Amino acid sequence: MLRSRLLWATLIILALASTLPLWLSAYILGVLTTAYYFGVFAMSWDLLFGFAGEVNFGPTFLIGLGAYTAALIDNLLGWPIPLCVAAAAVVAVVGGLLLALPALRLHGPYFGLVTLVAVLLLQDVIVIFAHFTGGEIGMTVPDVLSISAGTNYWIALVFLTVSGAALFFYSRSPLGLILQAAGQDPTEAASLGFNVAKHKLAAFSVSAFFSGIAGAMLIFYLGSASVDVVVDLAIAVQIIIAAVLGGRRTILGSVIGGVFLIAAGQVLLPLGQLSTFVVSAVALLVILFFPDGLLGHALRRGEQE
Amino acid sequence: MPETIRRSLWQPSRRQVLAGAAGMAGLASVPATVRAAGEPIKIGIIAEASTLPGAAIPKGAQMAADAINAAGGVGGRPIELIVYDDHVSAVDGVRAFQRLVQQDKVAAVIGSFISEVALAIEPWSARLKAIYITPGAASNDISKRVHDDYAHYKYTFHGWFTSYFIAECASDSAHDILVDQFHMKTCVVMSEDAAWTTPLDAAYLEFLPKAGLEVLDHIRFSPDTTDFTPIFNRIEGKKPDVIMTGISHVGVVPTVQWKQQRVPIPMWGVSSQATSSDFWKDTNGACEGVAGQEGAGPDSAVTPKTIPFTQAYQKRFGLVPAYCGYSSNDLVYIIAEAITRAGGSTDPDKLVTALEATDYVGTIGRFKFYGRQDRFTHAMEYGPDLVPGVMIQWQNGKQVTVWPKKFATAKVEFPSFVKLPA
Amino acid sequence: MEAVQILVDGFAISALYALGAVGFTLLFGVSGVLNLAHGGTLVVSAMIAWLVATDLHLGTLAGAPAGILAGMVFAFATYFAVVRPIQRSRAIPREETEIFILTGTLLWGIMCQTVLAYCFTTNPVTVPALIGGVVPIFGVRTPRNEILIALACWAVIGALWLLINRTRTGKTLLAASINPRGLTLLGFELSRIHLLVWAIYGLLAGVAGVLLATFLGASSDAVGPLTASAFSIVVLGGLGSVGGSLVAAYVVGYLETITAYLVAPTLRAIPALVILILVIYVLPQGLFGRR
Repeated sequence: MLRSRLLWATLIILALASTLPLWLSAYILGVLTTAYYFGVFAMSWDLLFGFAGEVNFGPTFLIGLGAYTAALIDNLLGWPIPLCVAAAAVVAVVGGLLLALPALRLHGPYFGLVTLVAVLLLQDVIVIFAHFTGGEIGMTVPDVLSISAGTNYWIALVFLTVSGAALFFYSRSPLGLILQAAGQDPTEAASLGFNVAKHKLAAFSVSAFFSGIAGAMLIFYLGSASVDVVVDLAIAVQIIIAAVLGGRRTILGSVIGGVFLIAAGQVLLPLGQLSTFVVSAVALLVILFFPDGLLGHALRRGEQE
Repeated sequence: MPETIRRSLWQPSRRQVLAGAAGMAGLASVPATVRAAGEPIKIGIIAEASTLPGAAIPKGAQMAADAINAAGGVGGRPIELIVYDDHVSAVDGVRAFQRLVQQDKVAAVIGSFISEVALAIEPWSARLKAIYITPGAASNDISKRVHDDYAHYKYTFHGWFTSYFIAECASDSAHDILVDQFHMKTCVVMSEDAAWTTPLDAAYLEFLPKAGLEVLDHIRFSPDTTDFTPIFNRIEGKKPDVIMTGISHVGVVPTVQWKQQRVPIPMWGVSSQATSSDFWKDTNGACEGVAGQEGAGPDSAVTPKTIPFTQAYQKRFGLVPAYCGYSSNDLVYIIAEAITRAGGSTDPDKLVTALEATDYVGTIGRFKFYGRQDRFTHAMEYGPDLVPGVMIQWQNGKQVTVWPKKFATAKVEFPSFVKLPA
Repeated sequence: MEAVQILVDGFAISALYALGAVGFTLLFGVSGVLNLAHGGTLVVSAMIAWLVATDLHLGTLAGAPAGILAGMVFAFATYFAVVRPIQRSRAIPREETEIFILTGTLLWGIMCQTVLAYCFTTNPVTVPALIGGVVPIFGVRTPRNEILIALACWAVIGALWLLINRTRTGKTLLAASINPRGLTLLGFELSRIHLLVWAIYGLLAGVAGVLLATFLGASSDAVGPLTASAFSIVVLGGLGSVGGSLVAAYVVGYLETITAYLVAPTLRAIPALVILILVIYVLPQGLFGRR
């Protein structure tokens, strides 16, 4: 009953969303486009944390790998965009597996630290090789997805839908349930005969795959890549907040959280400096009083009815 | 605005606190005397409100807008500024630019002093065909792009020195003061490892030997360095007469440590933080004797407009303008004149042609933009009779102009622990 | 010659790192809280110290205590506004408290950073050193302030050691870190212990923040990096182990200094990060971790 309610709600929202370019300004479409890519970042993170139970401070490690791979290949080799994105996915998955290896031995804050360090290292490496990567100033890419705001919006929406569907169904599939079990009680899962390590590696690969592609696509939308946009810890923090705000372990809630964060940041633009403060304060209040997040809370309410 | 808040914490003035809380947008939407009527001409401002230079951009622009409006506006139409904070983020900067152009429909955007942000906005200026002028970024690439692909990038203008000319200016001053006056012969270039210093350092290495200073070593340090002892020790080991600096991300910390360790070598060159009027307080006076390149200092009479502007700014906002306060002020006038030259039209292509014909005497000099044939198309022209740049040195808690000679108000002095050549 | 320079220079830096990390690890050891707003405590102390010492012209002797007090106030604010509500919340399941505290303190840290930037701008500030001048140590020209910092850090750490190992209160803290439930069975009020730990934490971070401001400066931009640095050191040393943090702080401090002197100033932070990963990989609980 609930599943189909959620499904119907999602379908209706998607239908509405696809009509937006017909009556919203290019600027608002731009905000939503960025928010959709951000939503994919958050969903990928939720899969890792919510299900695999891995506290991960470095979603931007995977995103950054994907983004910079795509940007570098486009600049140096001039491949067409789809190939650059594919390359980004490959490199991100490799990065995800590298990150996953310590995860099999470490737990909680220790693993979190490794992810944190991974991001710092990536940032340092990018800045050191500024000759290729443009350092902290970043680099532009010669190709962009499109100049039209409407086209960019639809591309982002389709990407969000496909990623969201894939991640959601993965999480609700038997594979996902095993993953959740492994995340919450690895000993018991192992004693039931499941190969915990294999499933965690799979989760990392999936998360890395979508993060990397989303990172690359964001770059081709913006037309430039920089540490500030895809690697910085501040972005990682925003992703974590978006996922927790939306509701951890809901996957779809992350999209809501992501859209809320980005949209709120833009709406509050006239407040100048204090807009970040207001958004963070609201997020903190939501976490304190609605710990299940926006969607999680709504789903719980639905259950109680 | 942050500076006003700080003062009001101890002399509370509710109006000041409220005005501060209302943010920059509030500041922008209160015109002084609007004798001009008619549909407003909107100019967008993008700034990093939490930084000292960034906070000056909307303030300098507002002073120009108010003055223009009080004198009747542009062809009778008042100028209206729309101001957005970009939170020191390239994405937010791009987002603000898109909002200004597509939603608020401004005629031109003056924005950001950070090269990273400016370079991210520039392609959008090309895509959306909207005028974009940076009042403070330094990267050579901003104008290089215009040169290499004029048809697309012609809508971008660089309203400040490029790194190349900053280095040339600092080297010219080094020649006149350090070499001719103090008989210095050698130097070490010390700069933060950032993208904006790569062209700066390259230009330093080109100009300094010509100025008479042999470059003994070239040290680049990580921009998040907090402990400069190893660096100063290494420099000292080479025994240069002067340290030529290229720092912006850092400034307070190396200066404080320079003083604490009594490094016997003076610092000269580019130090963005040193140009802020709060630098003395931030370093607790450690900056005595530190000199940095600027557009104009509080006592530089570069043009007849400079000091009146500095004083009026100080009276209104309670502090001396940061460097991009001067340029953003001049740029508003320049845009206004361009619109008039274009017959009152704000059509981007007409504005480009009109802006290229700019010949305006502002607060930092005579503003002209390089043309298509020049290496740095649309960059601000540097020269003793154009925008000359000045060297400002901290002496006894004050910023004094020490170069060029015609604007100097004091002689160069170094602290006692600095060893000068005989 | 250079070796002596490295030795002297690295010592003060490492001592600062150590003081900053010790409070952080104590909080985790006794309360189980990973306070990701830690950088905020340090910077708040630093900036209030600067405000009183320089902006109000009252000098460092007045500024330092003001800064330390501000640090303690901020620590308590973090506890009462963010950590305690999460710990007591009935809506959050037990196993999830940690991630919520992480996220909550993270947000709190960002809020702190934004307010600091709004009031003070992002420009770094420094607190005037209590003692100026330089003194040669084995031929290396060392600022007296650096010596003072090293001494002050070790004095505070020494006082902490005395507290934990020689006083009754300290032993209670130690017990709480090993077995909180056992402690309640003995009749101790855990909530009082939590308050005490946060007070000690605020004091430690407050002192660290003020000292930091005299040597390395502080700005709102430093909130994140300071937290990350303390976190790295604490995990390397072993979460909850004060001794481990000390050792780790010196390892990281000297690694960075050596890299800056002998390799290149641009690569300063890299070896420390790489070593971190290697050690964690080989010793998953850190050097001296026990949890």
